Amino acid sequence: MSPSFGRGAMTNSWSDLQNAEVFLVAGSNCAENHPIAMRWINRAKAKGAKMIVVDPRFTRTASKADVFAQIRPGTDIAYLGAIINYVIVNKLYDEEYVLNYTNALLKVNRDYRFDEGLFSGFDIKSRKYGVDSWSYQLGPDQKPLTAASLEDPDSVFAKLKAHYSRYSFETAEKITGIPAQTIELIAETFAKRKPGTILYALGMTQHTTAVQGIRAYAIIQLLLGNIGKAGGGVNALRGEPNVQGSTDMANLFNNLPGYLPAPISTDKNLQDYAARNGSIQVKPLVSLLKAWYGENATKANDYAFDYLPKINPAMNATMVKMFELMEKGQFKLLFNMGSNSLVSIANRQLVRSALTKLDMMVVSDLFEVETAQFWREPGVNPSEIKTEVIMFPAAFVYEKAGSLTNSSRWIQWKEAAIKPLGEAKPDLDLLDALFKRIRRLYAGSAAAKDAPILKARWDYGEEPSALKVLQELNGYDETSGKLLPTLADYLKAPVGDVSTGCWIYAGVTGNGNLAARRNNTDPSHLGLFNNWSFAWPANIRILYNRASCDVDGQPVDPRRKLVWWDSAKSLWLGNDGPDVVDKTKGPKTPEGKQSFRMNPEGLGRLFAAKYTSGLPAAPPANGQPVIGIRPAGLCVDGPLPEFYEPTESPTENLLHAQVSASPTALVPSAFPEIQKKGKAEDFPYVLTTYGVVEQFCAGGVTRNIPWLNELMPEPFAEMSRNLAAKIGVREGDKVEVSSARGKVTVRCLVTDRLQTYKVNGRETETIGMPWSWGFASLSPGPSTNELTIASLDPGAGTPETKVCLVNVRRA
Amino acid sequence: MDVTRRGFLKLTGLSVVALAAGVGIDPAAAQAKGYTLKIDGCQKIPSICHFCSGGCGMLLYVKEGKLIHLEGDPDHPTNEGTLCPKGASLGAVAYSPQRVVKPRRRAPGAKDWEEITWEDALDRVAEKVKEVRDATWLSSEETPDAKSGHSISYTVNRAEGIAFLGSAEVDNEESYLISKFCRVLGVPYNEHQARI
Repeated sequence: MSPSFGRGAMTNSWSDLQNAEVFLVAGSNCAENHPIAMRWINRAKAKGAKMIVVDPRFTRTASKADVFAQIRPGTDIAYLGAIINYVIVNKLYDEEYVLNYTNALLKVNRDYRFDEGLFSGFDIKSRKYGVDSWSYQLGPDQKPLTAASLEDPDSVFAKLKAHYSRYSFETAEKITGIPAQTIELIAETFAKRKPGTILYALGMTQHTTAVQGIRAYAIIQLLLGNIGKAGGGVNALRGEPNVQGSTDMANLFNNLPGYLPAPISTDKNLQDYAARNGSIQVKPLVSLLKAWYGENATKANDYAFDYLPKINPAMNATMVKMFELMEKGQFKLLFNMGSNSLVSIANRQLVRSALTKLDMMVVSDLFEVETAQFWREPGVNPSEIKTEVIMFPAAFVYEKAGSLTNSSRWIQWKEAAIKPLGEAKPDLDLLDALFKRIRRLYAGSAAAKDAPILKARWDYGEEPSALKVLQELNGYDETSGKLLPTLADYLKAPVGDVSTGCWIYAGVTGNGNLAARRNNTDPSHLGLFNNWSFAWPANIRILYNRASCDVDGQPVDPRRKLVWWDSAKSLWLGNDGPDVVDKTKGPKTPEGKQSFRMNPEGLGRLFAAKYTSGLPAAPPANGQPVIGIRPAGLCVDGPLPEFYEPTESPTENLLHAQVSASPTALVPSAFPEIQKKGKAEDFPYVLTTYGVVEQFCAGGVTRNIPWLNELMPEPFAEMSRNLAAKIGVREGDKVEVSSARGKVTVRCLVTDRLQTYKVNGRETETIGMPWSWGFASLSPGPSTNELTIASLDPGAGTPETKVCLVNVRRA
Repeated sequence: MDVTRRGFLKLTGLSVVALAAGVGIDPAAAQAKGYTLKIDGCQKIPSICHFCSGGCGMLLYVKEGKLIHLEGDPDHPTNEGTLCPKGASLGAVAYSPQRVVKPRRRAPGAKDWEEITWEDALDRVAEKVKEVRDATWLSSEETPDAKSGHSISYTVNRAEGIAFLGSAEVDNEESYLISKFCRVLGVPYNEHQARI
């Protein structure tokens, strides 16, 4: 989403779903996995909204749909491309919105091409793109040239139109297995009702084309004018209680808190960092360094920039890749706090092997999850495994104070309700105790490498206080030592005068702990609940809400007024906090026009162009690096979404057989004994994985709750009646499901929820398996990730857990 | 309908009376005999559900430090008192016999765990951090220059031998301290399950 809109977050909120007139739920079975979504969807449906569900199975969500389509896993971009084509050809786009709030009119570099499945700039050796041609034609002022009309063949809109002209309903049918007339019905139903919203979850992201699938959603919503509006948006239903927060806090190797790019080795100093990432990133980075190093980060020492570890630009240490590095022997010590990779990672055999290469693993968890006891998985000989394991008992959510950020970006505070069980402690206490000990071990060291440890600001009290940490995230005026009252105070302060641990959280504790607010009134009746907890940024509940207004700054939807320009007061006002550059800059000013202020163009990006705002017209004469203001977020696999087959596919790509799978997908091959790839002749069926309402993710918690195990005791393989008849099994029989990587034996579930379908004229079957089981807990069962493939999206690093090829037989 | 906590209790109270009257139980008589509800005298403490990203509100009924009952928070604007089957089961975690309640250590090659104190466990881990950090420290790294192709040495200040898997299941403050802990030690290898 960030290459399209500028921020990587769900645009709207749970309670905003009530405002939609049409839903496209595709890549999410929210009735089971996000049940609260259905509460608000049902409310909208009661007022006449329509729901479209696209899924490989007729899910519980599908049972409430007005239109359902069964899709072959991993082929979403084919039918979404057909929808884009339909919207453009039939002129169903919101013309004013497209002209004013998207980059449709900007002129694309004439070197940009798309031929036979490849964008311009592809390097066959590295299997990566050079992105220089994915740019705009720039004027002498270094700003993009604007076309006079959407008809201009150089315009983004013309490129979009040409690109998707290949995506007819009939082609999409052959690829996806969805009948052409159903795709047309989906396109018509979604395009003709406003506002419309799109909901997705792991069903869209666990693919090698994950980012591009979401880009296709963004393009549809920008064309229809559905972003920034109540009842609109692209809503990423995050999978875990704090996945928004943990991403904000950058437990990601290539980020720092607040979505700052991690410095790389060639960034010798802050100036190099600015040259690469734009001057806009300097203040948040300096504020972070002030939060981490306090008075030891000064202008004179480049704000302790040297203290930060610098990643190698060629390095890929995304989660699955990290296990490859571990298997190679790079890591001696692993901390594992609240995750269960031995169940949750695709091709889990690599995890099992990699953990044996460690000297020590440190675990903190509630239960003895599979990962904590990998050394005694059935079939493994513990005496051969030399890894020492230290396990700390963790406190549960209601045993500790702290905040969680939900999918709506609401930072919600809770106090500890009871004491932790036994000797369990919050991870906060564990981290604090460990850091203090490590610092003591380094006391007195004069080595340069130890300075960051000795000079860090780390003061959360004898017993660490979560509130003090949240206050560090909020930030301080370092000249007075006072908390920053709001995000605006952070923005207007000079660089170096303020600290924030995560600049987008500024304001959360500025006037008391706003995350703890419990005022549930909703004067606008739009489900904004402005005084309940605190939403980042600046308590804005619906992102990009400037786009809910026309060019004059007045709401286009009189029933759903979010913000408006008050010309008498010369101020942006609203039911929601206005998402504008400056509240005093009117709708016709360069600042006031911008609906997507986090993008360098200030526009929604139909075409994800390479572009940096604020570049000087001529390079500095003194040989200093060229520093622009804000670079655009890019997709490494193309400026427009293109359909590619999954890594393991039962067929060839109909659009370009020579480039069948994504040319930039990271297909694992470092460990050929473990990372095998199967062929359709040996493994003729498509496996997709999913979750069930009674179990959660890797099952670490839910498989230890007896009630839930009674409801859903074991995994199974769900298949169509045709397939069951073909292999001679009945419901409840044991079947062996195998892939190139492994095999598991489970019961089969024979259902009408999966139907045989045709792909390119050939009958095809999908098998569905929930994945929440492992060898430990009260209710053990085989792990589905024994079968899956760890091919990765080249940008996000998500594995293709939702599609691989398998065979199945009676066990 | 806007239902406040108090209003909600009034409503349910009324319906209990109505229901009880229907099945021939007299709540007044029960009360006179000394039967009390298990939630009588409980403190009600709001919290947040710990499964999907809905962030639904839960209400914990706590008496003498013990969790007695857990239900949806009727004042929470997202879930308005409801919980899904998973959320409703979360009370079971508080005193689950499956919980790990003491630190434990698995020695290299061992078939089972042994108990260890918090102090000893923290010491072992802290010493291991120092040992691995010192042994695998990389202060600079050769990187080819984009223009000339020549290798240039750059300061990188990385502890190469340590990795940290954080979590989308811990609080913001904990996630942040994980990030800070890692980077202050020189560890960029900090990831978590948001990727998968």
